[in-house]
Amino acid sequence: MNERAGEPRGTPGYRYDEQHDAPPARQVSDVAVERFEHIFEVDPKLMTVHVAQQLFPNWDTLRIAAGRGDHLEWMHRHWAGTVLSGQELLDEIERESS
Amino acid sequence: MTAQLTDRVLDELIAALGKDYVLTSKTARMNRARVPAPFPVHRWRERVPDLVVMPATTDEVATVVRIANEHRIPIVPRDGGTGLTDGAVPERRGIVVDVKRMNDIKEIDLENRTCTVGPGINMLKLNEVLAKHGLIYPDDPASYPCSLVGGRIGTSGWSLVGSRYGHTRDLVLSFEIVLPTGRVIRVGDGGGRKVSKSSSGYQLKHLFMGHQGTLGIATEATLKLYPKPEAEFSPFWAFADFDSAYACVGRLARAGVATFAGAVLFDEWKVDYLRRDDEAYIPQPEDVRALVCAVCYGNSDEVRAGGKRLMRIARDAGARYLGDEISQGDWAARHDRYATPLHGRTADGQVAPMSWHCEDAAIAYTDLATVRTAWHDIVAGLRNKHPVFDDWGMFFYTSADTGVDYLTEIDVGIWEQELDDASWAAWVDAKREIAAVALRHGGSISACHGSCREGEVDLVPEELGGGYDVMLAVKRSLDPNNIMNPGKYGLQRAYEDQP
Ligand SMILES: Cc1cc2nc3c(=O)[nH]c(=O)nc-3n(C[C@H](O)[C@H](O)[C@H](O)COP(=O)(O)OP(=O)(O)OC[C@H]3O[C@@H](n4cnc5c(N)ncnc54)[C@H](O)[C@@H]3O)c2cc1C
Repeated sequence: MNERAGEPRGTPGYRYDEQHDAPPARQVSDVAVERFEHIFEVDPKLMTVHVAQQLFPNWDTLRIAAGRGDHLEWMHRHWAGTVLSGQELLDEIERESS
Repeated sequence: MTAQLTDRVLDELIAALGKDYVLTSKTARMNRARVPAPFPVHRWRERVPDLVVMPATTDEVATVVRIANEHRIPIVPRDGGTGLTDGAVPERRGIVVDVKRMNDIKEIDLENRTCTVGPGINMLKLNEVLAKHGLIYPDDPASYPCSLVGGRIGTSGWSLVGSRYGHTRDLVLSFEIVLPTGRVIRVGDGGGRKVSKSSSGYQLKHLFMGHQGTLGIATEATLKLYPKPEAEFSPFWAFADFDSAYACVGRLARAGVATFAGAVLFDEWKVDYLRRDDEAYIPQPEDVRALVCAVCYGNSDEVRAGGKRLMRIARDAGARYLGDEISQGDWAARHDRYATPLHGRTADGQVAPMSWHCEDAAIAYTDLATVRTAWHDIVAGLRNKHPVFDDWGMFFYTSADTGVDYLTEIDVGIWEQELDDASWAAWVDAKREIAAVALRHGGSISACHGSCREGEVDLVPEELGGGYDVMLAVKRSLDPNNIMNPGKYGLQRAYEDQP
């Protein structure tokens, strides 16, 4: 609840209005759009009949995407000391065969 | 409460466990009525248990079982509640024995590389402790963060890295189990707690693995431990068609690489599904039609050498490496498939809330391609009649280090809230057909979850033949009053000719 003077108590929403202005969507496929780099979203046109969309501040979208990244990093560390790079091995194979 | 649970029973349970651990509230009971596998939610009430107990020791479990046996009350073991074949669903109500409080680590034996734990512990939590000793318990279902050791025993679980480390049946050395009469025994490969190979007597460990709580309640398990891997390697490759990917996965699995922990083949339907919602696949070019991934774990030098061999095999098979970011990110995500987007598409492409159902079977490599087309046809027929279903594609995971058989799964999105009796009946028929295809191709109805759900369960006697009669005889002799998870696997037949 927002307690600042001059603002109605209990107004829903977030502190900074500009957080509600998402960057413009770029259509990346028939069914997906991209607003932030590497963060894809289902095309809002496909979410008009059976599901309601929530209002999301930008920082929350970024937080969720970053949280997912952290989780995957954690999972790697949990399972093994290091993760080998396939590209490095592939380069080695190419070098050896040329 | 139903008639079967009298005040006297309640008093006896409270005297045994204390009143804090005999739960009768609506929330405690409703929450243990279902598992994640979709079902017609308007029938939720039919499966709500009469009460829930949360014992803390083997003695307490044995006392609860004795009380249930004496009063002929159904009793259902429940652990993480993530089992997808309804094993932990109290179909005949009665008492749910939730073993989550029994989550202690009783011993870590560094010399013999074992640990002994309660059935309520989760593998992820256990591995956080074992990591301090440089060890790991590598039972790795796609429900790794939320399924628990007792449920792994109850289902005879399948592990993503089982091609290297074995599955639950290999990783659990021995365990203690409370039989349906309340007697406590220990089963293993022979009698010892820390023995991995014995020739003494019947191999009872396997009998009490995967019985879906119909033969007793595991209360302690001794597990086999490995060094925590120094290195992980998880390349993902793209293919222009299914056949090339299928040929490649076979070659990878047959290559005899010692650190090879598994390979997965994704078909065109799966790639189409991922293109809707998955950040790794949305931007992939159109010519990506099928995928393969492989994974290796072990000592760095060995993983490196084995990994290089696998990269060479894939390159020679025409694979296109998808890069480190996708490879590493997607593999890490496989340990936790609760992240599967819980929505699907209606026929006109609109997003609808859907739950995930996975139908699985064990199929030999040479039969995968034909099973695949037959299964997709079944799901297409279903979706035509009932648009609450959505085909989310198929995965094929190696089960062994030789590439003999694959956990073959078709994922189906189900709009659970819209399921009515007619669409549910159609789904049950489809499940039966899916299982029949697996049997026609010499497979087993399930590699992973079990086969006690409506539909496929009808075909278990056909799959096991005379072995099913042995199941009936074992059930009747160990559980004379049919109290232990009654209704599962059609085992009520064991009692039908009784007076
Ligand atoms: C997202 C997701 C991914 C999954 N991926 C996999 C996978 O890769 N591999 C796989 O094998 N499974 C998988 N599963 C299914 C499920 O996680 C497994 O079947 C798991 O072994 C169930 O464990 P649980 O602790 O949740 O058991 P529960 O669901 O509580 O119980 C499972 C069965 O075991 C019985 N049982 C429970 N505790 C005991 C006990 N102490 N003694 C005897 N019987 C008991 C129950 O009565 C029931 O029949 C997945 C499920 C989900 C939701």
